[in-house]
Formats: sequence, structure tokens, C-alpha cells
Amino acid sequence: MKPVNWKKIFASSIWVTVAWVVGLIVVWEIGATIVAGVKRTPENVLPHLYQIIGSVFSTQKVNSSQTAIQLVLSNAWVTLARAGIGFMLGASIGFLLALLMSRFVAVEKMLFPYLMIIQMIPILGMAPIVLAITKNIDKSRIVIAAILTFYPVATNTLSGFKAVEKEKRELMYSYAASRFDIYRKLLIPYCIPYLFTGLKIAAPMAITASILVDTLQGGGGLGCMMSQSLKHAMTIYVFWQIVFLSAIIGILSYQLMVWLEKLVSPYPKELKNGGTGKAKELEA
Amino acid sequence: MQAIRKLPETDAVVNDGVEIKIENMSVRFSDRTGGGAIDALTNVSLDIRQGEFVSLVGPSGCGKTTLLRAIADLQEPTSGSITVRGQTPREIRLQKKFGIVFQNPVLYDWRTARRNVCMPMELMGIPKQQRTATVSEMLDMVNLQGFGFKYPHQLSGGMQQRVGIARALAIKPEILLMDEPFSALDEFTKEKLNEELLSIWSKAKKTIVFVTHNISESVFLSDRVVVLSPHPGRISAIVDITLPRPRHLAVKDTPEFSALVSKVRNSFEGV
Repeated sequence: MKPVNWKKIFASSIWVTVAWVVGLIVVWEIGATIVAGVKRTPENVLPHLYQIIGSVFSTQKVNSSQTAIQLVLSNAWVTLARAGIGFMLGASIGFLLALLMSRFVAVEKMLFPYLMIIQMIPILGMAPIVLAITKNIDKSRIVIAAILTFYPVATNTLSGFKAVEKEKRELMYSYAASRFDIYRKLLIPYCIPYLFTGLKIAAPMAITASILVDTLQGGGGLGCMMSQSLKHAMTIYVFWQIVFLSAIIGILSYQLMVWLEKLVSPYPKELKNGGTGKAKELEA
Repeated sequence: MQAIRKLPETDAVVNDGVEIKIENMSVRFSDRTGGGAIDALTNVSLDIRQGEFVSLVGPSGCGKTTLLRAIADLQEPTSGSITVRGQTPREIRLQKKFGIVFQNPVLYDWRTARRNVCMPMELMGIPKQQRTATVSEMLDMVNLQGFGFKYPHQLSGGMQQRVGIARALAIKPEILLMDEPFSALDEFTKEKLNEELLSIWSKAKKTIVFVTHNISESVFLSDRVVVLSPHPGRISAIVDITLPRPRHLAVKDTPEFSALVSKVRNSFEGV
């Protein structure tokens, strides 16, 4: 019989995940029990996990027309649409800025410090200003998501452009390659992993920021419902459903970027399955 | 093509078969920290004939790479002049007549071997069908049949360097400039590639300028070995290599070979 390698089993990442999940459930339930014992509020602010799961399937309407989960999902769509548009806008602007900064040192010197300052303004401070300028809830949320996105995308992409080895550039130079070709055949393919590093940081951030700004102002969205729920205008289960859904959306947005990178990255996959004649290679 | 073909004939008459003419060239690097400037090369004069295999050999800091880079228009001379076929290096570079092989293979990791060899032809706008044919021809020449669809990280160092050579030859350059191309390889691979390079050279009949710090390698490959010495960088001797061609590795065991190696070694000054 093979001896059980406990060391290996405990070192594997699955067990780490299991340990975390079990630990969190235990802490949560202890907390929920204590809070339930205090019971100062009309509704238990920290319900048991089974109650939250139960509320997802509840058919009881929380407003005139929707159940809790219907309300959450319809608002999630509003938030996601804003965050998504803002993210794409911000990513495009970030990439274009990185292109400009890599092309013109003067632009980099001029822009870079100020881009950083924009990042230092707290979102909550920026939100009313942006709303005052755009005069539209939807637009202002899109702009906020875009502002949060463009910086990690721009800085990471720029560092990718800068990381290109001197000899790789000189090779292009020795063939008298046009600037367009240098970008198309060297710089842009080279910086794609860097670009995706930026996108992976930015995607969950755009969503979190969108939710956060929702809490400040009306106009629907997950954050808006969250704050209403917290103020007991609506059942507390809406709040908790949103908390869990936001976490899931955040993780999925990151995963989406991972998947997208695999799809568009020109780099070969891992050594084991690389070099097995793909469509791209037929070009040569 | 016709118009281009005519040019070398007239050049040959004017320059007497000299392809690269370097006259009193100096390169001085100013020290950024404010200290004294460094004379990488001082008053270098050298004529390289068409179809000739010339090695630049010397210890680190002798300016051999700087000399190659100046020919390739990667380094501006501080004074003096370089003409290639009666034109400036820049004009020759813009006509894409240089093939350069660097010390590192400098392959693009996201392209397969075939697509790396293909890259310069894409830049030149050569039609796809012709590119495909040339890529196969070049990979055959460097003995990499069957490795075309591998990515650089799947190839050994020697194979990567061969891809680099195939890429340099793919655009049929007039002049091949090689900067210590085999210095990172083990001795066995290096000798094998030396022999292969000679066979490629005899087929392709390019002018080759080859930088190395390996004396034996330079003697084995070259028609002439240009010995450079450091502080300041200068040419201290030019040794004619009279060994018969075609050469094979066995030539290294002959007394003539050893005598030439000693001659080159004894030409260094101030090392």
C-alpha cells in the first residue's frame, strides 16, 4: 500500500482554498449567532448563510414588482453596463496614451505625473465633480470607471514598451523598418502581456468603483440598492446578495481577462502544448 | 532589379573591388558621469573587399563591436568616414543590404522559427508565396528542416542562432555583419556552426564581417583577421589567412593553422 503523503496533500492549493472557505463559514456563523442574540435592529443585519441562500430563492416581493434576486440582478445589469462601457473606454484611452507616451518622450514627461495625480484623488471626492460636469448619472459612472481603468492600463502598457530589449529594436532599425511596422511587428505584440496585467488589475476595480459611486447617488445600480437596504428601506438580504454577487462578478471579470488574453495573445502557450502547428503559423 | 545590378559594376571600377572603406575613423564615447571620454576607436583605416570574409578579433574593450556597429549604421563615428559601395552606411541600411546577426539570437518569442525568418521579408513587402519558399530554402540552408514550427524557447541555443542566421540571409543581403554570433554556444556546437557558416558563405558569396574574441575561430573562418587592441581601441595588425579552401575542422590540426593562430596572438599590443 502506498503511504499517504499528508505533507503533499496539505500543500496543495485545493486544501488551502477549502481551509479558507471552512474557516470563513465558521467565523461567519459565530458572528451571526452573536448578532442574533443582541437583536437591536428590526432585522438581523448579519443573517446566517443559509438564510441568505434561502433569500435568493424566495418568491416574496421586496418592492412593488420584484423579488430580492430579481431586484439585485436587474440592478447588477445597470452597474455592469456602466462599468463595462467605462472599462472599455478607459482601456482604449490607456492604451492610446501609452502609445503616445512611448512615441514622444515629451508627452510622457508632460502627462505622466498628472496621470498619477488623477489617481490620487479619492473616487468619492471625484464622483460629485464628474456628475456636476456630465449632468447625467449614467455618463458620470462610465467616466469614473474609465478614469480608474486607464491608469493601470497606461502604466503597464508603457512599461511593456520600455522593456523591449535594445537589440530587438536595433534589428528593426537595421532593416529600416517603418515606425508603423515597428509598432505592429515588435512593440505591440511584445507589450500584450503587460497590457493584460493592466487589464486584470483594472477590471475588478472598475466594477468596485462603479458600485461604490452608486452608493453616493441615486439612479439605480448595485451600490444604490445596497445603501437603501442598509438603511432598512429594503430587506437586508438584498444587501448580502449584492455583497456576494459583487465578489463573484469581480472574480469573473478577472477571469474574463485571463481568458481574453489566451485568445488574443500571440505568445505560445506552455512548453508542453506549444509548437503544434496552429492556424497562425501557417502564415509563414 | 536591373537598375540595382548595374551599380556594383561601376562601383567596382571606381573602388577596385573594395566593398567597405573605412578611413581614419574614430569613435569617442563621452562619459556621462563627467569623467574623461573613452576612445573606443582611434584612427581606424580598413578596406574590405567584395566577397571577403574578414574577422575583427580582440579582447573586450578593443572596439571590435563598435567598429561593426559603425559599419551597420548603429553607431555614428566621431570623425573619419565609412563608405560602403561608395555610399554611406545609412544609405546602404535604408536599401536593406545589411544582414545582421547579433550575439544573442534576438528572436521574437511570439513567432515560430519560420515566422522569425519571414519577418524581414514582411517588412520589405515581399509577396507571401515567395516568402514561404524563401523561408523553406533558408531553413534548409541552416539545417533546420522540421523545426520551422517550433517557438524559440523550444529550440537549443545553437538552433536559435541558426534561425538568426537564416533570418539575416533571407533578404539576400549584400553584406553580412556578425557580432560574436557563436560566443554563447558550447565548443562543439560552435565548431559545427563554424563549418556550416563557411559552407553557407561559399554558396551565398556575401561579404562577411565577423566579430569574435576567439582567435582559433577567426583564423579558421577568415580570409583576413583584423587584430584590434584596447586603450585606445585601434588596429594593431592585419593577418592574411592563407589556408586553402574549402576548409574543414581537420585544418585546425595542421602546423600552418597553429602558426597563424600564434601570429594573431602575438599581434596584440598592451593586453
